[in-house]
Amino acid sequence: MSFANEPLLELRRAWVRDGLEDALRALDAELPLHVPVLIDGATRDAPDLASTDPGAPERVVAAATRATPTEVDDAVRAASAAQAAWAARRAAARAAVLVRAAGLLRERRARLAALAVRECAKPWAEADADVCEAIDFLTYYAADAVRLERGEELVQLPGERNELRYRPRGVVAVVAPWNFPFAIALGMTAAALATGNAVVLKPAEQSPGCAFELVRALHEAGVPAGALALLPGEGDVGAALVAHAGVHVIAFTGSSAVGQQILRVAADVRPGQRHLKHVVAEMGGKNCVLVDADADLDDAVPAVAYSAFGFAGQKCSACSRVLVHEAIAAPFAERLRGLLDTLVVDQATRFGVDVPPLIERSAQERIADALAQAAAVGATVARGAAGPDEGWFAAPAIVTDVAADAPLLSTELFGPVVTVEPVPDLQAALARVEALPFGLTGGIFSRNPARVRELTWKLPVGNVYVNRHITGATVARQPFGGTRLSGGGPKAGGPGYLHHFVESVVVSENTTRHGLVV
Amino acid sequence: MSASVVADPPAPAGAPPPPEQEIRALGRSLDAAFPSAARRPVHAAERALAAPLSDRPELRAALFRLVDVAPACRTPTELGEHLDAFLAELPAHERAAGLALHLTGGRGGHALSGRAAAVAVARMARFFIAGEDPAAALPALARLWSGGVASSLDLLGEATVTAAEADRYAARCDDALVQLAQAVRAWPARPLLERDFAGRLPRANLSVKVTALTPLIREAAPEIGREDAARRLRPLLRRARELGAHLHVDMESIASRELIVGLVLGLLAEDEFRDGPDAGIVLQAYLTDSDELLREVLEWAARTERATPLTVRLVKGAYWDHELVEARQRGWTPPVHATKADTDRSFERLTRALLAARPAVRVAIASHNLRSIAHAIVCNRRSGRPDTDLELQVLRGLGDDLHHALAAHRLRVRSYCPVGDLVSGMAYLVRRLLENTANDSFLAARADGADLDRLLRAP
Repeated sequence: MSFANEPLLELRRAWVRDGLEDALRALDAELPLHVPVLIDGATRDAPDLASTDPGAPERVVAAATRATPTEVDDAVRAASAAQAAWAARRAAARAAVLVRAAGLLRERRARLAALAVRECAKPWAEADADVCEAIDFLTYYAADAVRLERGEELVQLPGERNELRYRPRGVVAVVAPWNFPFAIALGMTAAALATGNAVVLKPAEQSPGCAFELVRALHEAGVPAGALALLPGEGDVGAALVAHAGVHVIAFTGSSAVGQQILRVAADVRPGQRHLKHVVAEMGGKNCVLVDADADLDDAVPAVAYSAFGFAGQKCSACSRVLVHEAIAAPFAERLRGLLDTLVVDQATRFGVDVPPLIERSAQERIADALAQAAAVGATVARGAAGPDEGWFAAPAIVTDVAADAPLLSTELFGPVVTVEPVPDLQAALARVEALPFGLTGGIFSRNPARVRELTWKLPVGNVYVNRHITGATVARQPFGGTRLSGGGPKAGGPGYLHHFVESVVVSENTTRHGLVV
Repeated sequence: MSASVVADPPAPAGAPPPPEQEIRALGRSLDAAFPSAARRPVHAAERALAAPLSDRPELRAALFRLVDVAPACRTPTELGEHLDAFLAELPAHERAAGLALHLTGGRGGHALSGRAAAVAVARMARFFIAGEDPAAALPALARLWSGGVASSLDLLGEATVTAAEADRYAARCDDALVQLAQAVRAWPARPLLERDFAGRLPRANLSVKVTALTPLIREAAPEIGREDAARRLRPLLRRARELGAHLHVDMESIASRELIVGLVLGLLAEDEFRDGPDAGIVLQAYLTDSDELLREVLEWAARTERATPLTVRLVKGAYWDHELVEARQRGWTPPVHATKADTDRSFERLTRALLAARPAVRVAIASHNLRSIAHAIVCNRRSGRPDTDLELQVLRGLGDDLHHALAAHRLRVRSYCPVGDLVSGMAYLVRRLLENTANDSFLAARADGADLDRLLRAP
């Protein structure tokens, strides 16, 4: 298909970097941003929830207002009321609104990237890519929804007319994570809106500021006030929203534990509820990179390091295990270890940083605990630079000699930690991947096309990357989504994703009258 | 975000283009001096590879992938398995040709075909690479010198991803400088190669790569890599000065250009290096903004007092595919010219601007394209200068016949000689092979029997 991704900023040009630094200064002067509860065009701004700069926790980035249980109910009711009119517009009209929103985001790119740098400590390149991906989701789903509106071809026989159409499901609850504060929140929201649903968005408590910018742009572009509500808050707000009888679809990206809880809650039919809830859940992973004996270490070592440590490993696609053929395990480990010492661990605002601070204190503690536990049972932990004193930094780490049953090999850590295990061959590596409960991303480094082909069929993951890093899926190029406990299979940014936001209706009409076909 | 709206100052100007007939006459004369009977500059060893491949992309890809993986295979059996896998991917009509590449014994099983392939790859590597290490390459450099050809040594290596690797590369460079400086003392006098308008030209000449001197290349933060590379480049500059050697800093992909330019111009401007060593930088004509870089270099040269002028090596650029792919994938305007003709025109314009900038800089024209070379020589002669005021550079292997022809014309030529083992040399080897089998390569076109007059036409 013809689709052009939003171009990334060319950070290798000094004047591009200067522009971003200007945008950051301008943003800083505005902080904290106020993020109200926003329902049907009405706002309530009574800050009681702050997002802070992970690199300078004293700095409040957004002063948000927690939604109350009553507001959750109000938001769903308002969305229900507004949905029919939004759905009644043709897909092309809704698409035009989304494309207009994409234009607004494009105009505000530098400011938005700066906001992700501040609120989530995304390094500039990653922050910019996040904004670009958000724009991509808008334009991609807008176009795909227009195509979907045409329905599907059915078999036609004389005397009847058969039609398959899609219609929106109703109210979509979007429960979004902080690690891609623009792209993921907007991806789920845009898919729902493009197909004619109304949306109630519950952003992560760590990134309400980014979410509010998205919601503002969508409203400015013409999304009706009632068709999109913003409910800042913590887990209780999300829980109330998910449980609400008026919600038809729950689009969730986040941890496996929360995703499974949502699936359980969504299965309950509440009083007054006359539909089954559909859940689109994108959850965690324990992603492995397999390095064959013939791999080019010049490529494999930096790609593994980037996949494991980029954005401090806080991507669901990040690499957390390397399974390396024993024939090259020693040089691989030595070079990766050496690279660990070169990683720039510093504030996200610094250009060229590799490992920014983690999102919050509890993440820092989680990583420290996991590493201490592993070390206590005999694992060897090598650490890179510790980073500045201020901010939730965790030194990037490589862990070796890990016992086969250690939790470190099977639970998602979401931090800059990677384990390295030698394997006798890639068949053995495959068996270890198969034993995992997850199936999100996976990587293969091999120069043998026969082996690559075989492994790409057998690896039980949703996205397989060959001879490259395993993060950074791009809309329309690498539609993204996992298998097993990582997700239900839909591919965000790819064909078929919108099907989760619609239901199909088949109309079959008798076209005969008095025995004649009319 | 948009680019600066301030109009750029005009590109550095040179003399107007010289008459075409002079360029063509010289081009024909140089062509006639090629040593091989057929006057085809491509060595038989790789003509067998190059000639049939330029319009056969699948076969070409299979061959490159084989060459690429060969040094990573520990046994002939492993290499044989790869060979099989590559051949299996070929479309049916190419399979026979694949088997006939003389890379395989065919019936002997993986070990035999793998052994044959390993031999073939090693033979190719020897064609482009002067030796496993400087000591092994020195006899070849001495032979070049005796034959009237200078050299620049280049140490191939695996990518630098750790500080230890950067240290090792710097140590190898230091060692190479010492060995070179020692060896060149015994070389006979070659006045043609040893003096130009600015004075003495060092016999010992080493090319270094900044991306090998630091693992800290961050394209969004050139200062990080610059500081780290400076720690290792500074001692090399001192060593080169102490030994009276020339140190040339190569250019690579555009991601490291800002770093390299800042690093080299910054260090050379320091008081410590005012009196030496002789040093150089590279200008890549395929970059659409190469005029701007030239202006920056010339402004630097004008305000920087140094004992000897900076040498600027003008090349077309070896990362064209990479730059294009990267720009396409990230949605950027490609930093390189879209066509070879555009690059060739840029090359001639930059040649004239560089020649006109003397004595502020020394000029080295590095190309295998007879047209580009002849153009430079004619321009230099029309400026009233002797041929020795212009250096011509070729690559070992590909440029061997060419350097014979240039030396026969008593032109000052230098051969760029990589050294290294097969593993570390593979990236270089693949790049050379790709270049040489590209449709628009001068040498490949000439080997295919393209008309000389057509090849000598203005781009």
